[in-house]
Amino acid sequence: MRIGLQLPTGDVELAARADAAGLCAVLTPGTAAGIDSAVAARLAARTSDIRIVVRVRLGVEHPVTLAEEAAVVDHLSGGRLVVLVDTADLDPAAAAEDLALLRACWSGRMVRHVGPRWRVPSGVMGSAMPATLSVTPKPAQLDLPVWLDGAAAGAIDSGLPVVARSFAAASIAAQVQPAVDDLTGDLDTDRRRVTAWAEAGATHLLVRVPDDADPEFVHAFVARYLVPETAMPHLPRVMVESPPPLPWPRGASAAPTMAPTSSGEDGPHG
Amino acid sequence: MRFGAGLWCLQATATTPRHHTTAYRQLLEDAVALETFGYEGMWLSEHHFFYDGYCPALLPAAAAALSVTTRLRVGTGMLLLPMQRPERVAALAADVAAASGGRLDVGVGLGYRDVEFDGKGVPRPDRVARQRAGLAALRDVAVPAGATIWNGSATPAGVARAGARGQGVMLSGANPLSLVRELAAAHRKGWESAGRPGGTPPPVAALRNVWLTEDAAERRAALDWQRASYVLYAGLGWSVAERDSTPAMDFLSDPSGAIADAVATTIIGPAPAIIDGLHEVAEAGVDYVIFRVVIEGAPQAALHHVLRRLADEVLPAMSTVEAKTP
Repeated sequence: MRIGLQLPTGDVELAARADAAGLCAVLTPGTAAGIDSAVAARLAARTSDIRIVVRVRLGVEHPVTLAEEAAVVDHLSGGRLVVLVDTADLDPAAAAEDLALLRACWSGRMVRHVGPRWRVPSGVMGSAMPATLSVTPKPAQLDLPVWLDGAAAGAIDSGLPVVARSFAAASIAAQVQPAVDDLTGDLDTDRRRVTAWAEAGATHLLVRVPDDADPEFVHAFVARYLVPETAMPHLPRVMVESPPPLPWPRGASAAPTMAPTSSGEDGPHG
Repeated sequence: MRFGAGLWCLQATATTPRHHTTAYRQLLEDAVALETFGYEGMWLSEHHFFYDGYCPALLPAAAAALSVTTRLRVGTGMLLLPMQRPERVAALAADVAAASGGRLDVGVGLGYRDVEFDGKGVPRPDRVARQRAGLAALRDVAVPAGATIWNGSATPAGVARAGARGQGVMLSGANPLSLVRELAAAHRKGWESAGRPGGTPPPVAALRNVWLTEDAAERRAALDWQRASYVLYAGLGWSVAERDSTPAMDFLSDPSGAIADAVATTIIGPAPAIIDGLHEVAEAGVDYVIFRVVIEGAPQAALHHVLRRLADEVLPAMSTVEAKTP
């Protein structure tokens, strides 16, 4: 099982720590206004490797606009985006329609959607308009990952991963089974908790660090103890409990990692 | 005189193909370069459903560029306001403004492509009412968070309305200076007629095609890249209506004529020629020049080279120049 972080306030510095510590993903806070595309864009610009799970709240905007924003953030992140579609206040039928339209926009096909909630193209500008629409740019990824959350998520027959909040809700059969949970900061408790999630079938657990956690918590607790705990069975704890190596001497890290050649072939300083 | 650069459109075109991810990576690199060179602002541009991926979501792109800089302002030129829901776009702009310490310039425009209105399900005749609702939401939510509102318009009535609200205007780079002068005067008059809201006249920004070079080959290349950049407008079907000050510029019915007219606005040459040209722009009533030097797909090194040269050789001479009061 892989472990990532929830970002309750959209804290870019916390995301940068998670990125540096090698966690798998960060999850945007989720706002009532459904504007997580802005924080996701900041995370994209300020991290380099970690996956960015952006909560896209349905019902706040035209799905075509939501799809455009996600595609832009996917490019800003170099293809590191995961879209967590939140059904929010929509009923299952309405959420399913919005989800289908979003996914049509991210596909490689021209879009033509006719449903109870949306008609794309709408036809409001008359019959001279094209019968299909090309929503551009396409995402950087060939198939943008989409996960589901919210009250209606479980009732949508899409085959997409649904975020689990309880062990019982996790499916051991799913290829991807995201889950969310809170950490306590107590090592034994949290070790048992993440192990239980792994045994329940979670593949990607996004944890919330305690509000009073030290800035070093991501490195010194989550990455050091919890990630290894669920990375192999019967983890020999002697490795994680061994003291970390000394900090590298100041100044030494600025030395060139490869000595320049003395052949002179690389120019006057070579 | 204030200076920025634009317009970042994040395209991958038929004649200069590239990966869109390259465009967005360079956007962030360019933001850092602009800040280093000392420019005030970076301006982005929006369209929808276009084959080249023209950026459809400016506020996320602006949020990213603002997050890698500390002084640079980032502006939307223009965000097509009628195509988004007022409350949500205002909340999004407020978030971007607040997170950047008030460095967001929200330039708004009505939009003009029928296919974009059709795709978003917004009847074009509704665009003025929706613009009004969007501006009210921005004023109530985004301005208190630190955003500054600008308006894009090419008609005296439109810029006068912006002036009457005490808001700045941003004028197109394809506009000849005669039209810029007329619009700047209308903007000032609108502000005065409304009782001078805010006390200080709102600024007039104008995109201008500028390239600093002494080299004949670079000059030919820069002008031909300008030509290539305006072919886009033929594809988009953009036009400027005929006015007293200005003949019509219609990229749909007369693309080669309109492209030639737009390229003819270019101020190009060594530094003294650029400085002379910018004095003319100031005399037309422009406070803030946005160098239209971003020609999508042009080599990034060439862009950074000309921006650095303009910053070093032109901006110091213009720092005390003020727009002529229309």
